[in-house]
Amino acid sequence: MNIRRFVSSSLTVAEMEARKIRHDTTELWTRVIQPALWLLVFGVTFNSVKGLPSGSFSYIQFITPGILAQSVLFIAIFYGITVVWERDVGIITKLLSMPASRTSIVLGKSLSASLRGVFQAVMIFVLALLLGVKIRLDPVDVAGVFAIVILFAICFSSLSMLIASFMKTRDRMMGIGQALTMPLFFASNAIYPISIMPVWLQYVSVANPLSYVVDAMRSMLLSGNYSNLPIDIAALLVSTTAFVGLASFTIRRLLE
Amino acid sequence: MLKGGLAADNCLEMTWNKDEAPAAGSAGMEPAVEAQDLTKIYHGNIRAVDAITFSIRRGEIFGLLGPNGAGKTTTIKMIVTLSNATSGRLQVFGVDIFRSPVAVRGMLGYVPQSISVDADLSGYENLLIFSKLSFVPKKDRAKRIWDALDYMGLSDRAHDLVRHYSGGMMRRLEIAQAVVNRPKVLLLDEPTIGLDPSSKMHVWKSIKQLRQEFGTTVLMTTHDMGEADELCDRIAIMSQGKIAALGSPEDLKRGVGGDVVTLHLSSPHLDVLIPREIGNTVHSEAKMIQVLTRNGEEAIPTITDFFRSQKIGIESISVHRPNLDDVFMKYAGRRLHDEEAAGAVSARRDIVRHMK
Ligand SMILES: Nc1ncnc2c1ncn2[C@@H]1O[C@H](COP(=O)(O)OP(=O)(O)O)[C@@H](O)[C@H]1O
Ligand SMILES: [Mg+2]
Repeated sequence: MNIRRFVSSSLTVAEMEARKIRHDTTELWTRVIQPALWLLVFGVTFNSVKGLPSGSFSYIQFITPGILAQSVLFIAIFYGITVVWERDVGIITKLLSMPASRTSIVLGKSLSASLRGVFQAVMIFVLALLLGVKIRLDPVDVAGVFAIVILFAICFSSLSMLIASFMKTRDRMMGIGQALTMPLFFASNAIYPISIMPVWLQYVSVANPLSYVVDAMRSMLLSGNYSNLPIDIAALLVSTTAFVGLASFTIRRLLE
Repeated sequence: MLKGGLAADNCLEMTWNKDEAPAAGSAGMEPAVEAQDLTKIYHGNIRAVDAITFSIRRGEIFGLLGPNGAGKTTTIKMIVTLSNATSGRLQVFGVDIFRSPVAVRGMLGYVPQSISVDADLSGYENLLIFSKLSFVPKKDRAKRIWDALDYMGLSDRAHDLVRHYSGGMMRRLEIAQAVVNRPKVLLLDEPTIGLDPSSKMHVWKSIKQLRQEFGTTVLMTTHDMGEADELCDRIAIMSQGKIAALGSPEDLKRGVGGDVVTLHLSSPHLDVLIPREIGNTVHSEAKMIQVLTRNGEEAIPTITDFFRSQKIGIESISVHRPNLDDVFMKYAGRRLHDEEAAGAVSARRDIVRHMK
């Protein structure tokens, strides 16, 4: 067991992604457009008509953490497509032939998705502040939100790689991603509270990991009430470990 | 047992220091690679590799020569643990590949058949990232990378994105990775496919140099006989998943026995049978025939007499010592280059696809 090598290989795989982003930042910026529209159009509109109940917070306050979680979810769940593409150009073959353990390679790839997620989070923070959305800017809370973003992206990008190991093509992954993101998004507390959903959807929402992430982010950005936080984080940690572990067993199937 | 190997691979497993002698085996002079009855069956019925047994000596350049689909790539993939063998035994420096895949990968460098460098990084970054993933000591990294770039003639383009490199430069960059990482065993899958002659020479030279400077053991596949002849100490001729013959190029050629006489005829020969005492027909087309004889020059008069008696005109006659193609013909029953064309096209396509 060599932790140092494990950590260093994971970070190196993430460094690889960081260097690619540095060479071409276009994708990073285009990815900001969608959450920006959600906040600027959907958020601002519903804020003024007060059409949705948002408890003691304004509607735009309410959905800011939701949009943040959603945009990280999109990046993570489509990360399998990037990996399939890298398989097509031989990079995965190369990575899996390295002496680094495959778990560290998968974790490194998930960290790459986190890296993009962190950039999204920064941009959404900036947007929210520009729009004058009142969020708590306590350093510990902000750090906590970033930690959740990183963990959340690892969780869903490794799930995406797990699925990609079986689906194997970009087209199928695109379909799967679309089939997953919309239900996850709408059956969560991201843009409206669970209490207004029909009962059956409320059950779905409780089993939806996105709800826990949004809940954790809301508690840090808005309410400052941390009572649910341990459960939120525990749920996230358990599924992340499971997905990373499973994906490192299955990833080689991509090459077959 | 194979399942166990997969499991071990996914643990953080053991520390492996490349410079240390392998612990297992203890005698210290195990072969670099040893395969016994190695078999790969795809989808339950495609026998891509069929119970092959071979042993590669330390410091040797060993070639797997065979047409497309012979099972060369599959063999290499099993050694780098990218593909699980269906059955058989496989050891690298005495370390069992199924039991300690991570340790084995720590001794290997792999250049896949299709280009595998990252086009979205610079050449320098490719070497940097993969040297880190091979655990090259930090203090040696920069120097080794620049030496390798210099040596492969890439230093002036080191900071350009690899997507702007030519196919030959990409291949050279992949060899440069081996120079930086200094594996004990380098596995090269069709290292010069689709390269122009000068890049080809460059790659050949650096393969020899690696062996000379670091004692690297090389296992390479090729369907180019000239390449196998030029580089390899020993060659295993593969055909349909099996090793048809194994030996040094000289031994293999000597094994064919005699000379090959090639006759071009002015009209189709309609399957005339050449008498045994002249030699064996090894290859024949409508207006061409190849005969293996003990002594080519001495056989020419007899052969001309024979064809004159059959009333078939001869346009030209040539004699050559057996080459590896004749060896392949003898053991696999067909010409190597008959099957080559399709492979060359698909290999070139690999590079094009990558550059898009
Ligand atoms: N992933 C795969 N699934 C099914 N068959 C395969 C696969 N890879 C290779 N094969 C088959 O195995 C045989 C050997 O292929 P390969 O090892 O690539 O040959 P070579 O490298 O000598 O050209 C071929 O018949 C090929 O079609
Ligand atoms: Mg091949």
